[in-house]
Amino acid sequence: MADTTTFANATQVLEPFKGVKKVTIEEYFSSGHRTCQGCESALVMKLMVKAAGPRTIVLGSTGCMYVANTTYYSTPWVVPWMHTQLGSSGSAALGTAAGLKSLMKKGKMRAEPINVIAFCGDGGGADMGLAAISATLTHKEYNSLILLYDNESYANTDIQLSGLTPYGAHTTFSPPGSVKRLIHTRWKKNVAGMLAAGHPECRYVATVCASFAVEMMNRVRKALSKGGPTFIHSLDPCPKGWDYDPMLSHELGELAIETGIFPLYEVEDGVVKYYGKTKAIVDGRKRKPVREYLLRQGRFAHFIEEDLAYFQAKVDEMWEKWELPGVVAFRKDSARIPSVQ
Amino acid sequence: MAHLVCEVVYRGIFQKNLASRITRGIVLSARKAGRWGIAFGRYGDSPQRNGVPAKDFAIVADTKEELEQHMARYEPKELHVTICVDDTLCKGVESWAWYGLQPINRLILPNGHLLVTSTQSAAELLRDTHKKDTPYHLWILPGKASLAGLWVYREDHTEVRVLGALAKIAPQFLSLEAVSEAIREAEWGSDLKVGSARKAYERIEARPVKITEGNPETPYSFELPRWWEMREGVSIPALPIGKPIEGTKGYRPERSQVFKKFSSRTMRPVVDFDTCVKCTLCWLQCPDSCFDVMPDGLYDANMESCCGCGICEAVCPVHDCITMVNEAAFEDNASQWEMWRRDKDAYRVWLGTKIKEKVHVARSHGFRYRGQYEEEMARGEFELGGAPLSDGIPGENAGQKGAKVGEAHSTLSVSIVTGVAEAPGA
Amino acid sequence: MAVATKAASGPTVLEEKEMLISGSEAVAEALTLADIDVVTAYPIRPYDTVMQAIAKKIANGKLIAEYIVAEGEHSQFEIVKHASAVGARVFCGSSGVGWAYAMECLVVTPALRIPMIALVGNRALDDPGAFGVEHNDALFVRDLGWLLVWIDTSQEALDTTLIAYRVAEDRRVFLPIAISADGAFLTHSQALTRVPPREWVDKFLPPYSRGDLQLHPDNPITVAPQVNEDWVIEIRRQNNAATERAYTVIEEAYADFRRVFGRGPENPWFEEYMTEDAEVILMGMGTLSLPVKVAIRKMRGEGKKVGLIRLRWFRPFPYQQLARAFRKVKAIGVIDRDYSFGSPFGSGVVATEVRAALYNAEHRPPLIGFICGLGGREVTLEDVYKATDICFAAAKAGRAEQATCWLGVRE
Repeated sequence: MADTTTFANATQVLEPFKGVKKVTIEEYFSSGHRTCQGCESALVMKLMVKAAGPRTIVLGSTGCMYVANTTYYSTPWVVPWMHTQLGSSGSAALGTAAGLKSLMKKGKMRAEPINVIAFCGDGGGADMGLAAISATLTHKEYNSLILLYDNESYANTDIQLSGLTPYGAHTTFSPPGSVKRLIHTRWKKNVAGMLAAGHPECRYVATVCASFAVEMMNRVRKALSKGGPTFIHSLDPCPKGWDYDPMLSHELGELAIETGIFPLYEVEDGVVKYYGKTKAIVDGRKRKPVREYLLRQGRFAHFIEEDLAYFQAKVDEMWEKWELPGVVAFRKDSARIPSVQ
Repeated sequence: MAHLVCEVVYRGIFQKNLASRITRGIVLSARKAGRWGIAFGRYGDSPQRNGVPAKDFAIVADTKEELEQHMARYEPKELHVTICVDDTLCKGVESWAWYGLQPINRLILPNGHLLVTSTQSAAELLRDTHKKDTPYHLWILPGKASLAGLWVYREDHTEVRVLGALAKIAPQFLSLEAVSEAIREAEWGSDLKVGSARKAYERIEARPVKITEGNPETPYSFELPRWWEMREGVSIPALPIGKPIEGTKGYRPERSQVFKKFSSRTMRPVVDFDTCVKCTLCWLQCPDSCFDVMPDGLYDANMESCCGCGICEAVCPVHDCITMVNEAAFEDNASQWEMWRRDKDAYRVWLGTKIKEKVHVARSHGFRYRGQYEEEMARGEFELGGAPLSDGIPGENAGQKGAKVGEAHSTLSVSIVTGVAEAPGA
Repeated sequence: MAVATKAASGPTVLEEKEMLISGSEAVAEALTLADIDVVTAYPIRPYDTVMQAIAKKIANGKLIAEYIVAEGEHSQFEIVKHASAVGARVFCGSSGVGWAYAMECLVVTPALRIPMIALVGNRALDDPGAFGVEHNDALFVRDLGWLLVWIDTSQEALDTTLIAYRVAEDRRVFLPIAISADGAFLTHSQALTRVPPREWVDKFLPPYSRGDLQLHPDNPITVAPQVNEDWVIEIRRQNNAATERAYTVIEEAYADFRRVFGRGPENPWFEEYMTEDAEVILMGMGTLSLPVKVAIRKMRGEGKKVGLIRLRWFRPFPYQQLARAFRKVKAIGVIDRDYSFGSPFGSGVVATEVRAALYNAEHRPPLIGFICGLGGREVTLEDVYKATDICFAAAKAGRAEQATCWLGVRE
């Protein structure tokens, strides 16, 4: 029986990239995936493992980044990759990390820090798989990163609404009709904030956007180096589900942050730090009006002024009323915007 | 012909609704003459992805029994009419991994028909379209490819023009009167649209294609392994790690050989290597990792894998350094960097032609802002598929996005959506 | 009381220990000897006593393994599936609707060739809620590539667990195995059980090695890419071949077990009790064998020639061996502790399978399916007497009057 007291359960030490020119040149997620033109989620995959490096195992739950990437018996992955079930990203991260740790502790496998990354879409993560992710975030003894790539729909099944679909968006489950213009009147769940607030043993939670690639990769590196279970939420513009010219993917990601709709922040050992353009907003820069972002997407083409005003009011509320703007919906003043029935 | 089998080959998502209108229109038109029909999408294409070639089918028959013969299959093995609603698909279609590159005319029966919406001539189209060992007819419906998206439709009359043309191609099944009636009854129909259908009917002509005409290349294909040759545990080897290009310099990733993805391309980036500032953004922001890093630190979009999304042009901070140009303007997947290295002056000339020609070979690529399609249609002629040929790839529509009209980019990176100058990599 | 049992091979004189333990504790002993690496727990009766036994082992340092309490059965099984994929030897388990909650994971585990060992504490599916034994839960997975075995005693629990790892982790098989056990015996009965020394187990059970299917940066593979109609039937064909090879691997494993441990059944597939000259053979799985054996002894005393076949392995189904065992019998009564509504003749699952196994046999005696003991109701001696009488009547008449009978129902 191996001496278990000497096993260090270390993580890799991944220093942040100091600028675009210092980024790893190798690709660990290469070409040949059947994703849409302009798919930002595919870009997230590429950047995620570019940041993680070759000593990595990736578990991918069902969704676009499973079906489109490995379509019909092919793969773009250079690092080992395994599919997992739709709601299982948390379990896959936990099981993989626990398996490796056990084998290394007991001397059955050479001990080395191997990155374990499990990804999920907004459907698989924020809806079905939330419980499993939550459980994994309580297990401080296992190192892993769970990355939720959010294209704001169940995109792989041809665009249905999820718990992270924005208010009023057109999906196949929420088509605007002559009697009901808006079927989907729920407001987007705040996953990163929720998970950071509820799991005191989880040392790192962050939100990212691939439009800010270096910062996104550095968050991944920090998460993997941190130790214990970590979580990253990425916002990914989706040309298919959002209905826009694919070449605008990068710009739309920027706009989502500049309008304040998607805040960029990290929660490191409980301390909230805004970064990038979100920091500028917190420091006083005016947010761009949400309509600039919304009306560039076909999924909001049916919005009338009332819808745009409501959306703006909800985003304003996030910044003006919340105790931790953009992060957690706790407030001192309980007056609310009248909700839409 | 007691039955008529048609397919619509189209750009996934961009033309999904268009294809559906066409195939349903075929069935509903044939119904007017008392025939039976079925319209269906190919299951294997689903979920569709922007740009990846997809197929819908319409089968029409005199009797129910005859119709049943052709149902319960994923796709027909042979057909009478292939309708291609984006002429860049004539270079061949690769719809998923292991599918190989299949010629656009592969399924057409001898003396069948290929109907293509295009601004190119027959000679130009036949340079791309693979040779077929039986003769067929080529019908060209003049106009740009009509690209939109899932939620907002581009009403440029393409679907009715196709139906009108079909009435000329297969008059035994689709009379012009039946087509007109079906259009009038459709939710999306109108008298104006009936007019467009008629004009298409009147103007379109057949161009016979001989077995000696076409692209002589053999498109790549795969043989599928047998059950005992396959690895167990539903496992396949990962892609190998890429390698430097020259000594230790440069980098080219290994790419999947069973799904190359270049046939998803409707336009390709043309790079001006002389003005590149090596900011790395095109390489970094490409979701498809299609840029090879060359030994001199420049970035070459590998045309075997580029799927033509255009993000590289959008993020490039230098004026006219990367320009998206209609894929129809190119004959092969040759490396631009190799061309430039061999002869920089010749390359500059070639580059200039391609970018200038953009005006004439421009194309649409999806939704940019609310009201865009209506504005384009207000300027356009419906019998040519809508907006004038000069509209399309960004720059021409810059006035709608906050950047100055007539200026594609300034020397700073300008967000083409917000028009605000940003530092590269911000 | 030590029972000195010498190993058939081995330089030092080691011996098995005798312990008074429950079925759950016996499984925990086996898992300790097998040096499992990862185990996940979630509470549901009656299987979870095994998880409690394992927790004690870990707390007392007898077993070194990652012990994770999941937040639901779906996660519970997914966690060990992934641990196994990177090469960890794993154990899991559930009962009834808990097993049902894990179903999404259960369906992919054999397809991905994950040699997970799971204990199913057979329990009625609720609603209607009951903790008592019914076999339908384990039987859910019978078409999917899981191997299924039923155990009857603490000794069998320990031995079968070791055999299961040996069979599952054989590269020719690489399929998960569900070991089914009646809850009552798992928790309530303490029996004298021989526990072998670790040295013997190491001779019998090689380390788990995934070989080229190992998920590790030194072996970069993509596991379970999306497939379509061009690939699925070939993958299923592979799994079929693996399941067919399991017959040989199981026989080899039991033969090796006997060689190393000096004990164990000659026939892995089923236990035969007084079948040599039997005119009527009753058949069933699990602990219903106990009242049946008692009843048989009584009936034998009355001159009735009746015997019992207690089936161990349900998958792969030993159809050839059963046809041979039934070649002289005059009638068969299959007692199903399960149901299959709407099946041919309304028979239970085991009866339907046995009928299918005998369809092409030269000798096809009348076969009656008995549905009995559902939801934990006792299979009484009276039930067994009645079933036997019905079988003798069918033997005499040369045909069964009724293909299926429900026993013990308040009519």
